[in-house]
Amino acid sequence: MNSDRRRILRFLGKGSVAAAFLAQLGAAGRAFFPNVLYEPPSRFKLKRPDDYPEGYTFDAGKRLYVIRQGPSFHVISAICTHLGCTVQWKDTEFDCPCHGSRFRPDGTVISGPAPRPLEWLAVSVSPDGFLDVDSANEVARGFQLVIGKEHV
Amino acid sequence: MSAVEQARRLIRKSIWAWSPESERESSEAIVRNLWIHWFPGKVARASLDWSYSFWLGTASAALLLILTVTGVMLMFFYVPSTERAYASIKDLQFAVSFGRLLRNQHRWAAEGMVAVVFIHMARVFFTGAYRGPRAANWVVGIVLFLATLLLSFTGYLLPWDQLAFWAITVGTSIARQAPLVGPTIQLALLGGHEIGQQTLLRFYVLHVFFLPAFVWILFAYHMWRVRKDGGLAAVERLRHARRMAPKATPTTKSYSLFGLTPGTSIQVLSSTGLEEDDQVFSSPNVTRRIALVFLIVFNITLLAALAFDAPLEGLANPAVTPNPAKAPWYFVWLQELVASTTIHLGPFTVSGAFLGGILIPGLLLIVLTIWPWLDRSPASAEGRWFPPERRRQNTIFIAATIAIVVLIIVGVYLRGPYWRIYWPGQMRPEMPRLY
Repeated sequence: MNSDRRRILRFLGKGSVAAAFLAQLGAAGRAFFPNVLYEPPSRFKLKRPDDYPEGYTFDAGKRLYVIRQGPSFHVISAICTHLGCTVQWKDTEFDCPCHGSRFRPDGTVISGPAPRPLEWLAVSVSPDGFLDVDSANEVARGFQLVIGKEHV
Repeated sequence: MSAVEQARRLIRKSIWAWSPESERESSEAIVRNLWIHWFPGKVARASLDWSYSFWLGTASAALLLILTVTGVMLMFFYVPSTERAYASIKDLQFAVSFGRLLRNQHRWAAEGMVAVVFIHMARVFFTGAYRGPRAANWVVGIVLFLATLLLSFTGYLLPWDQLAFWAITVGTSIARQAPLVGPTIQLALLGGHEIGQQTLLRFYVLHVFFLPAFVWILFAYHMWRVRKDGGLAAVERLRHARRMAPKATPTTKSYSLFGLTPGTSIQVLSSTGLEEDDQVFSSPNVTRRIALVFLIVFNITLLAALAFDAPLEGLANPAVTPNPAKAPWYFVWLQELVASTTIHLGPFTVSGAFLGGILIPGLLLIVLTIWPWLDRSPASAEGRWFPPERRRQNTIFIAATIAIVVLIIVGVYLRGPYWRIYWPGQMRPEMPRLY
């Protein structure tokens, strides 16, 4: 009886030390996952639709391309789907400088290691008349924002 | 006694252990000097052979010491902030006296360490020195090699130039490809979803504290194991040539605080069991050679630092990826792999980022780690360079090394803008440098 009690007490004693230590370790590890991020929002405004010329316009700050065809606009992300480098528009295709992926004008892959087409991003017109892009929101390829007379 | 004589005696008293004048002083040095007591009293003459080990492990240790000292010096000038980091490196280059030399030496010693640690591993492989009890130390060595690569990786991020920024982008994107835990690892490495101040600080602390501390501790263990495993494998060659029985571990009794303790004592285990003639005192035979290796390595890194400047690209710019964006030479073979291993199986696509960035290097690493247990070569092949019994094993190792070297050469010399192949002499298009 007596030795049983000792064993339980010993188990509780060592166990509590181990538990406290593990909890401390877990807490230290948890600290590495931030609760607050001071990052720019994933939804942001660009310029007014009419500020964009016909064709492909690169926005360096936001790493995306605004593509205008008359009254139709769409936005393609410039972030390569392979390993995140910025792709460059070269007259007829997008090329990636890091690992050589090539994309068609609509973002689909021609060749290279990229596993997926470039993302098309949701775009709308904000009430005050700017292009409004939500980079966290991918839309189907072929999506077009058609600007009516009221915006121009 | 004259003052000169007194001075001579004082100097003698402080350095006798390093330059013993008798066998008695040689053996006393082991117990009387803190630094020398790390060595066994005597070592096999065969293990000191320059052409056996090329002293590559000692050279690695010398590079580690140089890196630690120059690294601590650099810490006085470097500021781990996204706003100040690049400017503080520029200050080291142009405003701090000998700052450029310091950074150059740190950089070339780091690249040298990657190379020397790998060649050291190749030496151990070619001489079959990982057999039997030494298998554990082989695994320790592989962990040390990985830690060396991680130190290099975390190190070249710190200048916060274009190389740094895009290396973190690609490196953490590869980490993201790991199954299940990938995105979590990426979040922990970046400290967010984008590369920023948190990322730089994390890599800085890893680079200046955690990884060096880890490497130094593991290095000490690596050395301790060399001794426990009976010294270099060259000893086994000697033992085999003399047709001596495999090293026995006789039990002894020693006097401990509470009386006689049965067991094996350190002296018995670390003794090579060889004839007196095969052995020499560690002081001065080992100590002097180590000093010489340190001196040579130090001079080579210093000359390299005087002759060549460490690269520094433009300030990190998230908007513009350099074209082409190349990893440092020791990672460029991985860049080649991730760029060329994407496969399409009908509707399914396996990204090269996973295949070439995680699966292939991971498998290479696993095979390398368990190699001592796959090894079937006889004991007679141990401690000799390129024995015929190990021809197949050595061929595999050399073939894999050549494949990696070829990938490195292609990546470093042939890849041009948009990662396309340009043969020597072929015109490369001019790329605008937008920074």
